[in-house]
Amino acid sequence: MLFAAPAFAESCYADYKAKQDNPLRLHYGVIEIDGPCDAESAKSEAASLLQAEGWTLLSLLSTFGANGLAERKQSAGPYYLRF
Amino acid sequence: MASQKGNRVQDPITSASEARNTGTRLVGFGLAAIVIILMLAAILLFYNLPDANAFNQRVEDIFRSNDGLTEQSEIKLLEILAQSGTAFSDVLSSYRSIIFVLLIFATALLIASLVFLVMLVILNRRMAQIERAGIEVNSLLISREENTIHLNDMGFKLTDAAMETMSLLAEARMDDDVLSGSEIEGMISGRPASDCEEAAGATRIKRLRDTLGNQIVSELLVKNIARRGYMLAVSKDVIKVR
Repeated sequence: MLFAAPAFAESCYADYKAKQDNPLRLHYGVIEIDGPCDAESAKSEAASLLQAEGWTLLSLLSTFGANGLAERKQSAGPYYLRF
Repeated sequence: MASQKGNRVQDPITSASEARNTGTRLVGFGLAAIVIILMLAAILLFYNLPDANAFNQRVEDIFRSNDGLTEQSEIKLLEILAQSGTAFSDVLSSYRSIIFVLLIFATALLIASLVFLVMLVILNRRMAQIERAGIEVNSLLISREENTIHLNDMGFKLTDAAMETMSLLAEARMDDDVLSGSEIEGMISGRPASDCEEAAGATRIKRLRDTLGNQIVSELLVKNIARRGYMLAVSKDVIKVR
């Protein structure tokens, strides 16, 4: 527990918008960030993760801790922590 | 006199072909202008029509710039919007090819009409020249066995002596030579030209003119209708009496 608690507190998430071309597909999703919890590094990490799945990152909206997850779960739908 | 007559017949031919040359150059410019104008139109057409991706780009911009657009149903709607835009751009590209085909048709028609116009002008000019020049010699066939010459498609029978003179003149014309009376007499009789008289050659020319002229006039102007009589071969309304 001592080990897990700080790890949980440190865990970082970001919500983003991504697209696929031909035909155009869009989605809003939430992703877990392993690296430092700032917009710049979150953006590059999200971009590479999405790239691997064939998606292009359009924009990164925000980064947040575990307490922000619940309110975004509904909107993200199938893309909630998918990648 | 003989060379003068030759010139008179020659002139309309040279000027007509000159007219045709300038005409051809003009036609070339006209055709080039038509093709260039329509090619510009085609290029503008293809350049200005939106490409298939324009709609997707617009939808993507909307999605990116509005932070609030995160609900799944909203995103679904945006995707449908992009799809209908893509469908419309397919229609546009088919329109584009139709317009291009029409442009090609227009080019062909314009070129054809220009060519015909210029041909009409040239033909008119040529007709006017032919009308003014009277008889124009397109072909002169000398047949020695039948003692006949054929001017265009009219055949004229000549005496042996006139035939000699005629073929001599034809050969001289082909070499671009002008023969004096004594030279003509010399060549026909086989003696050196200095021994021959100018008047003897002139007499040969006169006989040739008489027989040929008589036959040409009776063919073209004063016709002889068999067993009925004589008649002028011109239309009634060109005759004026002062």
